Order: sequence, then C-alpha cells, then structure tokens
Amino acid sequence: MLIPRVIPCLLLQNAGLVKTVKFKDPKYLGDPINIVKIFNDKEVDELVFLDITATVEGKHPPFELLEQVASEAFMPVGYGGGIRSLEDVKTILGLGIEKVVINSYAVENPSFISNVANFAGSQSTVVSIDVKKGIFGAYEVRTHRGTKTTGMDPVELAVRMENEGAGELILCSIDRDGTMKGYDIDLISRVAAAVNIPVVACGGSRTVHDLGAVIKQGGASAAGAGSMFVFQGPHRAVLISYPHYDELEQLLEIS
Amino acid sequence: MKKNYQVCSRCVMDTSAADITFDEQGVCNYCTSYLKMLSEIEVSAEELEKSRHEFHAMVKAHGNGKPYDCIVGVSGGVDSSYALYLAVQNGLRPLAVHLDNGWDSEYSQSNIENLVRGLGVDLHTHVIDWPENRDMQCALFKSGVIDIEMIMDNAQAATNYKQALKYGLKDILSGTNTRTEGMPQAPGWTHYKFDVKNIRAIQNKFGREKIKTHPLMSTLDWIYFEYIRKVMWHNYLDYFIYNKAEAIEILKNKFQYVPYRYKHGESVFTRFYQNYILPEKFGVDKRRVHHSTLICTGQMTRSSALDDLKGNPYIESGEAADDQIYVLKKLGMTKDEFCDYMLLPPVPHQNYPSEMNMLKILSRIYKAFKRQS
Repeated sequence: MLIPRVIPCLLLQNAGLVKTVKFKDPKYLGDPINIVKIFNDKEVDELVFLDITATVEGKHPPFELLEQVASEAFMPVGYGGGIRSLEDVKTILGLGIEKVVINSYAVENPSFISNVANFAGSQSTVVSIDVKKGIFGAYEVRTHRGTKTTGMDPVELAVRMENEGAGELILCSIDRDGTMKGYDIDLISRVAAAVNIPVVACGGSRTVHDLGAVIKQGGASAAGAGSMFVFQGPHRAVLISYPHYDELEQLLEIS
Repeated sequence: MKKNYQVCSRCVMDTSAADITFDEQGVCNYCTSYLKMLSEIEVSAEELEKSRHEFHAMVKAHGNGKPYDCIVGVSGGVDSSYALYLAVQNGLRPLAVHLDNGWDSEYSQSNIENLVRGLGVDLHTHVIDWPENRDMQCALFKSGVIDIEMIMDNAQAATNYKQALKYGLKDILSGTNTRTEGMPQAPGWTHYKFDVKNIRAIQNKFGREKIKTHPLMSTLDWIYFEYIRKVMWHNYLDYFIYNKAEAIEILKNKFQYVPYRYKHGESVFTRFYQNYILPEKFGVDKRRVHHSTLICTGQMTRSSALDDLKGNPYIESGEAADDQIYVLKKLGMTKDEFCDYMLLPPVPHQNYPSEMNMLKILSRIYKAFKRQS
C-alpha cells in the first residue's frame, strides 16, 4: 500500500542550512548540497527548502543554490521563500525544482496562487501557512517569518487557497517549531478536515510516533519535520538521520 | 631522478618513499623500525590488562564530579567507532565529538547515529562554516602543497580539545593506534598538522576570505592544552590487542555498522584525495603504509596486499569519476581548472612560512631541559 510521505523541511539562510526554534535563533547546520547528498542515500521521499530571510530582507530566491540542489537531489524538491512573481516561479521550475511554495505573498495577494496554478498546475503549487496561537488560544496566521500578524484564521485561509488552485498546503505551528514537543494535532486536524488537498504537517515532531500520530489522528497527508532529522541527543548535535523504510511502513500503515 | 624500482620483500613499501633503504635480504627500513617499535611496546597479556585497568581507573577519577569522563572523537570510521564502543564497555562515560566539515557521507552519519543511540552516548557536533572551509580548501589547491587535509585534521584536534576544556575533562581518547596505523608515513607524504602558520600563509596568499571561525590549533596551542591545562591525547586502542577485522564484525553485529570499501570513506573529499589525488598527482599510495602495517601485525598477508595494490578499484569502478563531479561542484571548480591542477608540479609546504623551525627549536630546548633535570 501507499505509505504517507515523510518530508524533511529544511531552512536556508544565506545559502547555509539552519534550524530555528519557534522561528527564532537559527542554528547553522552546514552546506545544503552535502545534506541533499546524504538524504539521497537515505532514500528520502521528498525535500522542502524554505529560505527564511528572502521575504523579510526583500531578496530574490537563491537561484544559483537552487540549481545545485536540483542537480544533486534524486527526489522531488519544493522551494519557498521570496517568490513574488510568475517570473520567479518560471525560473525555479526551470531549474528542475518540482514545487514552488508560497507563504507571505499568498496572504498579500491570494489571486497570485491562481495565476501560479494556471501556469504550473496545482500539483506544483504549494501554499505554506504559519500559525501562532494567540493569548486567548485562537489560531492566527502569521507571515514574514512569523513576525507579521494578519488576524486571519488558518482554516479560512486554507479553504481560500484550495479554491484559488493550490494543490497542497504546508501547515506549520510556530509555537511547536524546533521544540520537539509533538505536533499541534488540534491545529492540523482542523485544517485537514476543512480541505480536500493534501496537508503537510510541520512543527514539533521528535519521534516516528509523532509522525504516525499526525497522520492517523491529525489527518495530515504527509509529515514534515526539521529538528528530528538534523539533531541528535541533548546537545542538539547536528546529525542527519531519516527513519528506515520498514519502520515507517509499520508505523504509518493505516489498516 | 628515478631510482631503480624496488619493493620490500617483507612488507609492501617501495621506492615511492624517498628515504627507503633495503638490506641484503631486500627488507626495508620501514618495517624493520616499525617491528622494532612494536617489540618495544609489546607487553604480556597480563601487563596489558594491568595498564588498561590503571588507565580506565585514571580516566574515571579525572571524570569524577564531571558530566563526562572523557572525550572520544568520532568520524563514523571503524577505529573511532570501536574506541567509543570500548570506552563504554569499560565503564567510561564518554562525550562523543564529531567534526562536520561539509563532506560527511551517509555512511558516516548513519554509523555515528546507530552507535551513539545504541550506546546511549551524548554527541556534540561542530559544524564548520562551509563557505569559509571551501575558500580554505581552494587556497590549498592553488598553493600546490600535498597535505590539503591538514585543515581538517587540525580542526578535528582543536574541536576535541575545546570540548575537553568546556567540560573540564582531562582525557581525549582517540582511535589512532599503533597496531593498524603505526608505521610512519614517508617524508613529504603528509605535513605537520599543527602548522597553523603554514595554513594562514597559504590562505593569505591564495584565499579570498579571512579565516574567521575555522577551529585551528597551533604548536603553542597544543603545548597550552597538553602541558598547562593538562588535557591528554591517548591512542586508546593501544590498550587493547586491536584487530581491525574483528572490530568491524563486532560493530556490524551490534550497531548495524556499515564498513567502507576504501579507507576514509566517511568523508567524500578524503576518499577522493587519498585514493585519487594523492596517487595520480603526487605519486603517493598510502595503501602501501596501511597494508605494510597490517602485514607486520599479522592482520594481512603480503600476497593479498600485493594483489590489492595491483589496481585502484576506486578509480576502476568509476567511483572516483562520480566523486570528482561532486567534489568540483562543491568547491566551485571547473573541470579544466582541476585538470590543470593535476598537471602542475607539487610545491613543498616549506615554500610557505611554517612552524617547523619553531618546532625544531622547541624540541631542542625540551631535550636540553630533560638532560639537565
């Protein structure tokens, strides 16, 4: 049977790979190209790269690096960060990246998503939604690396994006990012229940059991994770890992 | 300039080692002095056990009240993996320390993962800034010196010492050992690894960026760590009758360890350097020293060593070509630039400023001091 996807979500900053905690304090992990090579050998399903400074600093996507990533990666790759025009989308897909991921600009200009979907097809059009819990427990969408409040409800935005033609959503809990305290299953299940397109859950996974939980209980179509695949032990020592195929098969098989 | 080719009748060292000499039986000075050294350190099983016991007791005492007893540097290779395993087996609480210089292979990462998880050992990784490391490696290429690896070896040592100081530890246990790698390299095959003056001079001349974060330790740093702060570097496997093949079997069975086909397969760059650049550009085949060491300690027969040396499976299998594409991509070097590099004559390290003279003076002072006391 088809096993749900398990996707390392990797963050880029100045052409280096980093990992954040609650979207802050990026820790340097090394050269993205070598990490792609290691994930190749680990037979990873899919990779997502998100440049966390492109939008905030008003920069273009790092095209040169993306070309190297695409030429090294055996698996499909998605890229997000600083995409604000169809020109960007064309360039990125032309380099051999399979999916474009749009976040801040999707909130600013929702019709951009339908333009991208018309051009590239829904299967290549991914919207990522970053969510933070407010003081009264209400979920709110944030953009610009979590710094900009929008007052928008994630479920509402997710449905809107599906209607615009997005083929997939990446849903990230800012509060759980890098904490390794488990996914925000409540958030994931609310969004997953409201849309028909695949939802990739992000933020908080620590073990393969978390991956299983977010798919089985949260209704996510795929589990995304960062820290879990790049850190080891109490010192958060940088070490690239990925669960074995049979381990995933056992855990994720939905009978 | 070429002398008549000759290979030792006991080991497999040959005239590619500039200072090799042979006796009437055709036996070379390399294995003769290595066997002499082995006989000097060779002790009875009881004595070895006694010294091992004392060593572990000392390390435990040093670790008393500290979060760890000692540091074990790990690369994912067999020697350091086995050292970590033995340390835990013997009741020590090591902190595993790994240097990630951007060339780790998947083998290296999964071996370290299985080992530290299986043993329940904490890991610290130091990740070298890749753009800086790339610039330094390119500078070493341009300089034409043989030991492009010196910045890695140096950084590895520096990282281990720094972690030891951080936790107040006195002992660094290393997988370096006499029984599988004790025969010294021929002169000019490697360079003195604490020669930071050499590294900096080459970077100033050929690099584009300043060295800002790369961990480095000079001769004086080494003296400071070893003699002022009293952090000791131990060839830990010398406390055991270390047999590489047996070690691999144990690690395979207990930790799903994956051995490499080539020495230093844990780093893509190191395997390309040792198995392609060294033999093809510098005429140096380090397998001669490695195999000769194993012959002397009865872990390999001379005929199988000679058989192995007939070819270079790394090149013949096409792996070298694959690695070359990857290495050039990562370093940002074109194929033409690399071909030009391979054709240029080697440049001795001593053509650039070096700490070698200072080292000679220091060791003379040390010897004079020792004579007087």
